[in-house]
Amino acid sequence: MNGPNSSFFLRHEFLIRRLHSLSGLIPVGAYMVVHLLVNSTLINGAGAFQTNVHKIHALGKFLLPVEWAFIFLPIIFHAVVGVWIIRSGQSNHSQYRFTANWRYTLQRWTGVIAIVFIFTHVFHLHGWFHAQWWLENVAQPLGMAQFRPYNAASTLAQGMQNYGWPPFYLVGILACVYHFANGLWTMGITWGLWVSPAGQRRATLACAVVGLLLFGVGLTALVATQVTDPEEARGVEDRMYESEDGDR
Amino acid sequence: MADNQRVVIIGGGLAGLSATMKLCELGIPVDLISLTQVKRSHSVCAQGGINSCNEQTRQLGDSEWKHFDDTVYGGDFLQQQPPVKEMAYWAPKVIDLMDRLGVTFNRTFEGYLDRRRFGGTLYKRTAFAGATTGQQLLYALDEQVRRWETQGMVRKFEFWDFLGPVLDEEGRCVGAVAQDLVTMEIHAFPAAATIVASGGCGLIFGKSTMSVFCNGSAVSRCFQVGAKYGNPEFIQVHPTAIPGSDKLRLMSESARGEGGRVWVPRTPQDPRPPKQIPESERYYFLEERYPQYGNLVPRDIATREIFNICVNEGLSVEKGRMAVYLDLTHIPREELDRKLGGILEIYEKFQGVDPREQPMKIFPAVHYSMGGLWVDFAKSSDGGLQAGDPANQRTNIEGLYAIGECDYQYHGANRLGANSLLSCIFSGLFVGPCIQTYIKQSGGAAVTRTPSTLFDAAVSAQQKRHEDLLNCRGGENPYLLHQELGDVMTRAATVVRHNDQLDSAYAKVEELQQRAARASISDTGSWTNQNVVFTKALQDMFPVAKAILRGARLRDECRGAHYKPEFAMPSLTETDPEARRREAEQWCDRFEENNRRYLKSTIARWNGTDPDISYEDVDTSLIPPRPRLYGLVGAEIIEQVWRERQAKRKEQVATAGQ
Amino acid sequence: MSAPTPANPSSPAHPTKVNVRVLRQDGPGQPAYWERHQVDYEENMNVISVLQKIAAQAQTVDGKKVAPVAWECGCLEEVCGSCTMVINGRVRQSCSALVDSLLAENATEIELRPMEKYPVIRDLVVDRSRLFHALKRLQAWVPVDTYGHLGPGPRINRPQQEEMYPLSKCMSCGCCMDACPQYQKIELQRRPGESDEQYQRRKEAAYEQGFVGAAPISQVVLFNSHPTGKSIADGRLDALTETGGIQVCGNAQNCVAVCPKDIPLTKSIARAGRAATLHSIKRFLEK
Ligand SMILES: Cc1cc2nc3c(=O)[nH]c(=O)nc-3n(C[C@H](O)[C@H](O)[C@H](O)COP(=O)(O)OP(=O)(O)OC[C@H]3O[C@@H](n4cnc5c(N)ncnc54)[C@H](O)[C@@H]3O)c2cc1C
Ligand code: HEM
Ligand code: HEM
Ligand code: SF4
Ligand code: F3S
Ligand code: FES
Repeated sequence: MNGPNSSFFLRHEFLIRRLHSLSGLIPVGAYMVVHLLVNSTLINGAGAFQTNVHKIHALGKFLLPVEWAFIFLPIIFHAVVGVWIIRSGQSNHSQYRFTANWRYTLQRWTGVIAIVFIFTHVFHLHGWFHAQWWLENVAQPLGMAQFRPYNAASTLAQGMQNYGWPPFYLVGILACVYHFANGLWTMGITWGLWVSPAGQRRATLACAVVGLLLFGVGLTALVATQVTDPEEARGVEDRMYESEDGDR
Repeated sequence: MADNQRVVIIGGGLAGLSATMKLCELGIPVDLISLTQVKRSHSVCAQGGINSCNEQTRQLGDSEWKHFDDTVYGGDFLQQQPPVKEMAYWAPKVIDLMDRLGVTFNRTFEGYLDRRRFGGTLYKRTAFAGATTGQQLLYALDEQVRRWETQGMVRKFEFWDFLGPVLDEEGRCVGAVAQDLVTMEIHAFPAAATIVASGGCGLIFGKSTMSVFCNGSAVSRCFQVGAKYGNPEFIQVHPTAIPGSDKLRLMSESARGEGGRVWVPRTPQDPRPPKQIPESERYYFLEERYPQYGNLVPRDIATREIFNICVNEGLSVEKGRMAVYLDLTHIPREELDRKLGGILEIYEKFQGVDPREQPMKIFPAVHYSMGGLWVDFAKSSDGGLQAGDPANQRTNIEGLYAIGECDYQYHGANRLGANSLLSCIFSGLFVGPCIQTYIKQSGGAAVTRTPSTLFDAAVSAQQKRHEDLLNCRGGENPYLLHQELGDVMTRAATVVRHNDQLDSAYAKVEELQQRAARASISDTGSWTNQNVVFTKALQDMFPVAKAILRGARLRDECRGAHYKPEFAMPSLTETDPEARRREAEQWCDRFEENNRRYLKSTIARWNGTDPDISYEDVDTSLIPPRPRLYGLVGAEIIEQVWRERQAKRKEQVATAGQ
Repeated sequence: MSAPTPANPSSPAHPTKVNVRVLRQDGPGQPAYWERHQVDYEENMNVISVLQKIAAQAQTVDGKKVAPVAWECGCLEEVCGSCTMVINGRVRQSCSALVDSLLAENATEIELRPMEKYPVIRDLVVDRSRLFHALKRLQAWVPVDTYGHLGPGPRINRPQQEEMYPLSKCMSCGCCMDACPQYQKIELQRRPGESDEQYQRRKEAAYEQGFVGAAPISQVVLFNSHPTGKSIADGRLDALTETGGIQVCGNAQNCVAVCPKDIPLTKSIARAGRAATLHSIKRFLEK
């Protein structure tokens, strides 16, 4: 914990920790909620999903800066600070076996899982950088950057065919959802929203409900990727484009 | 900063801390020496509260004077009255100050301080913060001292053992020598004035209600270099403590103040669970014998009654062990938790029984030492103290002061509950300006003009004692010797005293003292060596123990906590009014005769091997002594005779004056 | 007849001996080592009486002569905080740790270790000066004008008092910090030739970089809610938002679970957290 880097951290510790806390909810948490909701619409068929993806991609050339400003950078910020926070503590759940202490430790473990998951996941579907050279020479040869926004359902379903991915996503979703739901709870204490022990108990319940619902949503999305037939989806997508062309 | 004004204070309990903060406010820097972090001083143990006359009691006829009177009467007239009067008149101000410092006193619904009743008075004078008043008071003072510490006015030397005062050729105290309990280094602390505020000496009795820091060593070290020790034999035994193997934990008087009732089954060792014993088969012996005060008779009386019920009447609630019931189970749980939470938790925690459901089992235990270093006072024209006079709180050694539990002047033969916290804070605050005057008068000469060789010599003398102890291989185990000392003292010099027992105890203590000189130290290390520190403290317990025993031996009377059945004043037995009147007259004659001989402060001086005892007059100029008649048969008539005599005496004085 | 039954202390199933394992260390920077002792069982024994017996015996279970174990104690009734140590893996007061209940946790032996987050001075004695330094940093006091007589303090109604009283019971024992995963040990070695003052200053500088801990945060809440104490509330919140301030808390809530005085620490943390955020926004806008 020495060196110029960490001393910058230490000097602005309060601000950084508050921003970290905030970034967990907005934009990262909010993004994840929307993201999982959108993804879960795949269960209603490739068409519904494609329509939603379209809405997002309607941003056109603004998409890239928006992605970076509101998604990637906040996640990277949250992740970097998160790792620093994790390193600043020392879990002792095996010695002090209290529920809250377990939750504290899990918050850290799921944070680490989230890093691995999100970075792999984004590589897997999005490809990290949409530079032609990168996609052709690095990402795609590795079986990454599978997703095509104009063939949303089919590429997604296709990308998720490998047996390894579903369990990986399951763990990822579990970790992210727990991390988010428990994060909401700790956030309420950090910002002084639930103060009394009784209030904190009630908040635990509320956050658990949020977490379970969100997990349901995530699971729906995951199941949808498995039950969607890429060929069939491709057909739906093609028909959508045709009709769109016809509109013009 | 004017370093030649620096004051050394030994002890950071209520007394030491209040003196520290007051001196800092006066611009005088302080070195504060304590065996432990001052926040952990014994004062945290005080539970019940702190007394003062207040707006509510005033409306019922209370006044500072009555508080003064109760204190003196409760102490059986053995106090010097001017300091006690000053204290009683300061009491409301002391509580106001503590209130301003943020002490979380219990409140009435409207936001005023709540009060409870304590022993020895008929008024609800006692302010309290739950059942942890001492803790709250100490913390408030600790916080103020920490504030001064950040401003560089206080240097704390925590985990340091005071080894003795340094005296110059003229016998003035010019500082102190102390040892770092971590590094074992010994240093001198030159000081313009030195204040001892080292608390009580309960450890001399082995187990007591006090903290382990209360070993009396600091006082003994002053005593051994010539400081006078006043009223050593007056040791308060608290009526209600929880017997334990390492400590006798106090069950505060507030348990009775809030309505707790003391009883035993009328059938000895009734095997039924206490709650199943019907009211009619319970003996509420305090309520029956003292209808006016009930369970709140002064401590000495409650203690003797409980002792008597168990030892002489065989009514202890258990067979192998002595105890009586202290019953709170008739009070609603919620009220108990609000007012007594802290102490009830202690009982629950250490006995594993919920006192809200089951009566507690309690027995008396050594609790407070009324005696202590003799200190002077400067009387003012109105009978109180002359503020800022350097004589106040000064021992017979110039430049050496004593305050708090370790001085002798406020509680006489028996301390009233909730008066000690008051005397500690009061004496600490009051001594500040007195020291300031002393420093002004002496110009801080003690520090500037004392040759450093004097301090070096004092340090090397202590160094030698330390090393000699480390090298001693006499084979005696100091911990076992301490247990023996405690047993001897507890048997001979607590609730009931007999001259033959006191004599044999003295011989035994003498023997133990010699054995303690041959103690073997099992830890010869030079780092945080608690073994050698304990042994030193043990060796220094003997002079005080001897003073207690000898003081008790020579006082052939009953007064306050000192009780010799042989010399007890009898109840009246005659039934015929005239004969009874005559008997009362005789009683009063005997009482006056006794006062002429024994209404004196016992003064012990150490001659190198033993205490020499002498007596000094007590200033009773404000409230003339009167018999203390709690519960005596025939009290009314004795009181009447006494009042008539007093009136007559006043008349005589008046006519003589014309 | 195997395991002791603490529910019934008079039961004959009690052991006659109690095994004790103590983690000893001769001084700062020295290696720590385990030592086994055995003492006679007595009813109603606590860890203090076990340690007293060990001190009086001054030998291990194998009869090796050793120096008595060093430890701190004071009140023996859990109000002074002196005797805090890690007993059977949990930080607590040794005076209120009853042998019967410890044997119920682990029937074979009692394990004693020094507190984990404070530098060992010797054996079970640790240096907790950091804790008191935090109280200085946070100005945990009521700034009165004078100790002279100015009449009573501000009126405080009963509900307010009932909020404050529990917080004022903190005895600075350090349990809440010892069990906190966010509170890290800060241990410095004295450099050769360094004076007391220099060493002290270096230690304090190091303390200022570390987490203040739950108890001092709770003290801020206490003093910031006192009518007079409030007057320097901003200064306290400034300190609370500096390095090592309230932000370090990660809501593990061990603090409140181990606090022997049942102080509502997490409530204080939440209250202080809110106040600190509002305060720093205010500071930002006013600067
Ligand atoms: C269990 C209990 C409950 C009580 N309840 C009440 C109550 O409700 N109301 C009331 O009025 N009174 C009560 N009392 C009495 C009261 O608590 C004490 O008389 C009072 O606290 C003494 O304060 P003090 O400042 O004189 O000494 P202490 O608080 O004992 O402080 C002594 C200081 O001296 C230091 N010291 C001692 N020896 C040395 C040495 N050799 N070297 C360096 N430092 C040394 C110690 O470290 C400590 O800091 C109670 C007493 C007990 C035992
Ligand atoms: C079943 C679960 C999930 C599915 C099906 C899924 C699907 C996708 C798809 C298809 C993309 C590519 C979008 C694009 O390139 O435009 C994507 C990107 C991304 N996903 Fe997921 N995701 C899932 C869970 C998660 C979770 C739990 C997170 C955690 C926060 C997450 C975070 C991201 C991020 C940060 C991106 C990149 C952002 C972007 O491309 O705009 N995803 N996801
Ligand atoms: C990418 C890897 C991540 C890491 C390493 C990480 C790490 C952490 C850590 C260590 C904390 C605890 C902070 C504290 O206790 O002070 C935390 C809190 C939080 N995280 Fe993350 N996190 C990650 C991703 C995420 C994601 C994807 C989300 C949202 C979906 C998220 C939402 C939150 C929230 C809401 C909090 C609560 C903040 C608080 O307690 O004030 N985190 N994160
Ligand atoms: S808050 Fe509790 S655990 Fe922490 S120091 Fe205070 S009393 Fe000890
Ligand atoms: S245990 Fe530590 S992390 Fe916070 S909630 Fe308590 S201070
Ligand atoms: S000795 Fe005071 S808390 Fe244990």
